[in-house]
Amino acid sequence: MATRSNGTASDRGEVEVLESLQFTDEIQHLMSAPTTDNAGFFTALLELPAPQAVQLLHSPESAKLIAAPVPNVEDFKGSFHFPSNSGLIERAARFSVFAGEGNNNTKKSNSPETTSNISSANLEKAVKSEPAESESSQPLVSDPTVEKRSIKRKDREKKVKESKKKSKTAANESSEDAEKLPYVHVRARRGQATDSHSLAERARREKINARMKLLQELVPGCNKISGTALVLDEIINHVQSLQHQVEFLSMRLAAVNPRIDFNLDSIFTAESGSIIDCNFPSMVMPMMWPEVQVNGNRQQYQQQWHFDALQQPVWGREEVCNNYITPENSLLSYDSSTNSVTLHSNQLKMEL
Amino acid sequence: MRPPSSLRQEFLKKWMMGLQRYSTSKKNMSILERKKAIKLSADVAIASARNGTTCWSRALIANGYSKDGGDDKHLVEQILGPESERLIMKKVLTGGASVCNKRMRSKKILKRSCGIQRTRKFAPQVALASSIAKRLVRKRTQILRSLIPGGEFMNDVTLIEETLDYIISLRAQVDVMRSLASASELASEP
Repeated sequence: MATRSNGTASDRGEVEVLESLQFTDEIQHLMSAPTTDNAGFFTALLELPAPQAVQLLHSPESAKLIAAPVPNVEDFKGSFHFPSNSGLIERAARFSVFAGEGNNNTKKSNSPETTSNISSANLEKAVKSEPAESESSQPLVSDPTVEKRSIKRKDREKKVKESKKKSKTAANESSEDAEKLPYVHVRARRGQATDSHSLAERARREKINARMKLLQELVPGCNKISGTALVLDEIINHVQSLQHQVEFLSMRLAAVNPRIDFNLDSIFTAESGSIIDCNFPSMVMPMMWPEVQVNGNRQQYQQQWHFDALQQPVWGREEVCNNYITPENSLLSYDSSTNSVTLHSNQLKMEL
Repeated sequence: MRPPSSLRQEFLKKWMMGLQRYSTSKKNMSILERKKAIKLSADVAIASARNGTTCWSRALIANGYSKDGGDDKHLVEQILGPESERLIMKKVLTGGASVCNKRMRSKKILKRSCGIQRTRKFAPQVALASSIAKRLVRKRTQILRSLIPGGEFMNDVTLIEETLDYIISLRAQVDVMRSLASASELASEP
């Protein structure tokens, strides 16, 4: 199986490989690997929290996020445009293989070897306009794999109906034959055209929907909303509030100092006298300062704030600040922010 | 979701570097001037954390670069650090901006011409729910484009990706600024 996959040297080849179900050892990996719900549309990327996904997309830190090494994918590292995304691709690949595992032996390809294995009725699952898109340079290599999965999933659902009713098989076969020349074997959805324009449109829409899902996960409170316009509303509000917060905070910073010198050392020394009680019991960072109980006016905030946070294993502030408080509520954040300042300054000290 | 601490630390470092410039140069600045300086250095710092990989960061740095005064240019250069980055940024600023402008202009012309055709054809049509929804979404995306720096030059897909990254960076920026503000206020208490 490795040789077959190595034989196809194009992007299409990668696609085939990733979709091929011949990798039994990969499947075993997947069986043992912890997986989230398969029904999720975007589970590959969302299994990581969104910022990590975005980090993967942007920074070459993928090494630490690769859970289980998949040996066969290593061969293709050279052919990826963005090697830093290989971790993401591996995860997506693993999920795509896992997702498609149920339909055994339904993988397409144009290579003559595999067609023999595939029954004609049960054909081509795989990706349609992907080759057209993958030809054009994409900023994120993860796109093809994710979309493959999405398109594959929907087509699988459709295909069940189709195979039962057999209403469209003839039309599909003819369309497949017509398109056999370059690469794509398309399984048309019921009632949808198969010409390249609508396919490209569909793929583009899938891409956009995938990104919107990520955004929904990122912006708090968007999960329950359905409908693009409302979600976009929330996103716009969120971005605007963040930008306003930046303005407000820069005004505060300008007001606090007559000259612009934020001498971090002076801040550290000034704080050593009145340190907030550290409410995060399992904090790992070395505390350089004695933990002193805070003065009275903060305790009321603490009561409101930290009862849940106490249970959190890590930075309770993380949970608390998920709501992204507006400046009016920023009073409540003084506690946690000062907590974070001490931790922050610890970090800085460690760093400097 | 919480921005990674590496991002916040990098932002803080670069921001402090930029701010130190101001402490050495002028002695008396009004509060508004200070606020502008703080905000500018914060923006350039958070943008440079992405190192020119994203569109919004390039746009932010371009904004910081082309504003009034040679001070800002030096600020940007200082924050960006070594020579190589500066060269990259110069390429981005000089090359990218002109290309983007041309692209934007041609896109606008195209859209305008298409829009005229569209209205002629579909004027008598009954407003379908789908078309209403599309119009709403289009309006929202336009607003989002105006919010994200450099958003006018992006297509839909890129816009959403940039928004993702921009939100995370903004959060990091807000986190660090808030901590610093409250720490400074505590420190300056008598």
